[in-house]
Order: sequence, then structure tokens, then C-alpha cells
Amino acid sequence: MASAELRIIRRRIASVSATRKITRAMELIAASRIVKAQQRVLQSRPYVSSLIEVISNVGRDAGGSGHLLSEVRDVSTVGIVVVSSDRGLAGAYNSNLIRMAERAIGHHTLEGRDTRLFVIGKKAQSYLRFRGYRIDQTFLGMTDRPNYGHARAVANLVIESYVSGEVDAVEVFYTDYRSVLYQIPTRVELLPVQPPTDADSREGRSVSYSYEPSAEEILSRILPRYVEAAIFGFLLESSASEHASRQRAMKAATDNAAELTKVLTRVANQARQAEITTEISEIVGGAEALMASER
Amino acid sequence: MARPFNVDVVSPEGTLWSGDAEFLVARTTEGEIGILAGHEPLMAALSAGPVLIDHDGDQRTTIAVHGGFMQVVENRVTLLTDRARITAGDRAEAAEEALRLSEGDPLDFEG
Repeated sequence: MASAELRIIRRRIASVSATRKITRAMELIAASRIVKAQQRVLQSRPYVSSLIEVISNVGRDAGGSGHLLSEVRDVSTVGIVVVSSDRGLAGAYNSNLIRMAERAIGHHTLEGRDTRLFVIGKKAQSYLRFRGYRIDQTFLGMTDRPNYGHARAVANLVIESYVSGEVDAVEVFYTDYRSVLYQIPTRVELLPVQPPTDADSREGRSVSYSYEPSAEEILSRILPRYVEAAIFGFLLESSASEHASRQRAMKAATDNAAELTKVLTRVANQARQAEITTEISEIVGGAEALMASER
Repeated sequence: MARPFNVDVVSPEGTLWSGDAEFLVARTTEGEIGILAGHEPLMAALSAGPVLIDHDGDQRTTIAVHGGFMQVVENRVTLLTDRARITAGDRAEAAEEALRLSEGDPLDFEG
């Protein structure tokens, strides 16, 4: 009969290896998603870079674009967009980003600026709500597989609040995907749209276009597209980062579980051996006693 | 054979079509426009409709486009589309497809 100690340890081993199976599965799922997310990031880049090229060309040609979305105002209220994830189990992915955003909010408050929070993802929502921040709008269910419609929904809200004067600038916090091993929380000033400088654009030549319908009309159509595309890019980058972080976190968990099983197995073996030794010495002791009484 | 020029059709979800073309027809907000090699620099807003690309002599690709922009610069045409789909059939089918693209819920499409 196994002793109480041995039984408890065996139960722990079973539970740890069951957990290990789960984390291992999550690791594999995340790994397969990284590839897809990475591809989507790459696929969306030509559009954004073409848009930027067009905007800078038109801006240069039309001479100092005085469009609403690129007009710089005195900032009294800042809109803050935080791109977090809906699910945890991704290591420090969310906490790094949210902490960065929170610092920025604190900074704006110190400088006497109001903030409006637009939150993407359940994690940032619950953290910020718990800390007593007022959240203006939350978007859920976007970060796992973001599509352009999601980006458009966020962009519409952001543009609307900017145009109506509710906010005077918009900052976005997202996690930039550099590689599988390296993702960094990043802050971007999205609005007002900063006209790309000549150094940024690929070709610094000026083109005089003929316009259909007019330069102003084109700009007023293209800038909202730019905001959408930029947000789409942030969502995709964040999603790829999330999967990469989760894969890493789950790999660490799996490794830890394997290590723990090893240690526990050793403890269990020791306990079993101790039990056997006790049994044998009891038998031997008993036999000795019998022989002594027979003599 | 007409001189070729470079065409890129890109959407936020990826590059749809890329290559050399001899002739291209698109529908701008002002009306249809045909592009040949050496066209003057042009920036146009597209409305929903078919885009026809003639390439490789006798090939014709039709693409249904839902809004966007067309830039013509130095023999390079870039179509920045909000949403676009390559259609197999002729121009009428592409036009129908473009309408379908614009009717769909903008929040409900996958890349």
C-alpha cells in the first residue's frame, strides 16, 4: 500500500504533466499562427507604403496640404488608442504595453491635458477599468485575427472624435513586431497626420499631377484611408507580436513543467524506496523477534 | 504591339496584381479613363467599377474595384484599392462584382 506522501506526489505529477500537454498544445498553435500573422503584415505593407508615397507627392504638389486631418491644433485633449489582446497567457506582452500607455496617460495629466481612451482588447480594458480610468470605447474580438473592417471601425471612431474636436491629437500604443524573438511596445502619433518629409519618401522628386477630381478632394479622401491603413498595420503587428509572445511564454511553461515532473519523479522514487526499506526492516525485525522467542 | 507600362494593384490585404500592361481602363469619379504608356502624371479617385488590364498581347484581366485611388507616374500605374477582387469573366461581370463589394458590410470581410 502506497503511503500518503507517495500518493500526493503521484497526483501532483499527473497534474503537472496534464498542464504540460495543454501548454505544449498552445505553444504549437501560437507557432503556427505567427507564420500567418507575419505573412499578413508583409502583405499589407505595399499598400501602406504606396499610400504614403501618394500622400507625400500630392502634399508636395498641392503645396502645404491644409486638410483637417493634418491640421495641428493646440492640444487640450489627447485620444489614446491601446492595442492589447483579448487573452492572456502571453508573458509580459500586455503588461509591458499597458504600463507604457499608463505612463503616457499620467504624463498628459501632469501637463494638464485631458485624455480619452479607446481600448482594443480585453486585457487593457480590465486593467484600466480596475485602475479607475474612464474608457470611452472598447473593441473586443479584433486582435486574434484582425481584418480591415476592424481597422475601419477603429479609424472611423478616431477620425470622428478628431474632426468633432473632442480630441486634438491621437496616440496609438501597439506592439511592434520586429522578429519572432523581438517585439517592442511602441507609441505612435497618428493624428494629426504628419506630412511625410522629403527624407522619408522613397523618391524625393516633385511631380505635377493632373487631378481627377481635385487635389483637395483627393487628399480629403486619401487621408482617412491612410488612418485606416495605419491602424490596420498596428493591429496586424500587434497580433503577430501577441502570437510570438504567447509561443515564448508557453514554451517556457512547457519546459518548466517538464523540469518539475523530473524533480517530482525523483521525490516520488525516494519516497517509494524509503517505504520499501521501512517494510523490509519491519519484516526483518519481526523475523528476528520470532526467532528469538523460539529459542 | 503597344509599349508596356508597369501596373500594381494593391489593397490593404495584399498585392492583387502586378506586372506589365499595354492598356488599362479604370472608372474614376469623373468617368472612365484609359491609360496607355507615357500617360501624363495623374492622380485620380476611383469609384466602384471594373478595371480592365490588357497585358501580354492578348490577355485581359478584369478586376472589380470598390473605391480607391489611381496614381500614374513615370510609366508606372498604382491602383490603391479599398477592396478589390480579380474576376474571371468580362467587364459586365466585373462591374457586378464591384457592386457586390460595395454592398457588402464593410465590417464583414476577410482577407
